[in-house]
Amino acid sequence: MLVLLLLTEGESYGYELVTRLQADGLTDIAAGTVYPVLARLEREGHVSSRLVASSSGPARKYYRPTADGAAELATALRGWDHLSDTVRAVLDRAATPKEQ
Amino acid sequence: MTPTATSLTDRARREWFLLRFSWHMQDFPQKQYRQIKRDLRRELTTAGADVGMRQAVTDLGHPWTLAEGYAAELGRRVPRWTTGIVAAALAVGLIIYLSLAYALGTNDTLEAMGGGTVTTYPFGAETIFTNTADEISLQTSPSPAGFAFVVGSALVAFILGSRLWRAFR
Repeated sequence: MLVLLLLTEGESYGYELVTRLQADGLTDIAAGTVYPVLARLEREGHVSSRLVASSSGPARKYYRPTADGAAELATALRGWDHLSDTVRAVLDRAATPKEQ
Repeated sequence: MTPTATSLTDRARREWFLLRFSWHMQDFPQKQYRQIKRDLRRELTTAGADVGMRQAVTDLGHPWTLAEGYAAELGRRVPRWTTGIVAAALAVGLIIYLSLAYALGTNDTLEAMGGGTVTTYPFGAETIFTNTADEISLQTSPSPAGFAFVVGSALVAFILGSRLWRAFR
């Protein structure tokens, strides 16, 4: 979900995406975690890619969400909202002292 | 401005990682694996230009863990052909080892009993052991039962080792 969300904000190549995730607070996330996710998203048609020539090295493969990816993201966000609401409700109930 | 060339050391470091990675990806669907390897080589080269190849390789973690990550994202479990072949080879090797142990044991027993000739029928194969002052020999001939036992054992080991049933899911 976060990978699709960040790619919606702006296309990225793999390593740049890792650094963006780390900058957003996922400091422990490694490239080895993100690359397989990108491979799956591309295989499932949720992201498309294009090669962009770079002056500081080889051509970089930039990823961006497809229409399917945008739909998948919307579904994932709804699911996350639902899960978040459920967890919040349970936590609030647990935090409220029971009436004697 | 021309792109920076990857140094020989960095290329060696990258290719060594990819070689180890490919060992753990042997059972991955080959078409997808080739694409993944191409992407990974490109990403390593790209990241290497950004942060240095040593760091880029370190960031990927152990090749086995990375391969497991790709396998998990595949969404289905795939047969492990290499493991199956190794298991079948070990099964055949074990049978050869046990056969040799049986032959040597029989020969030693024959010698301890004063020598002579004995005929046995392991798996239906007539086998003649001779241990005399002039001759120590073993004569045998292939039997269908013996052949079936070896092939059957290898087959069972291959099926279990490769998790063959995953190919039909």
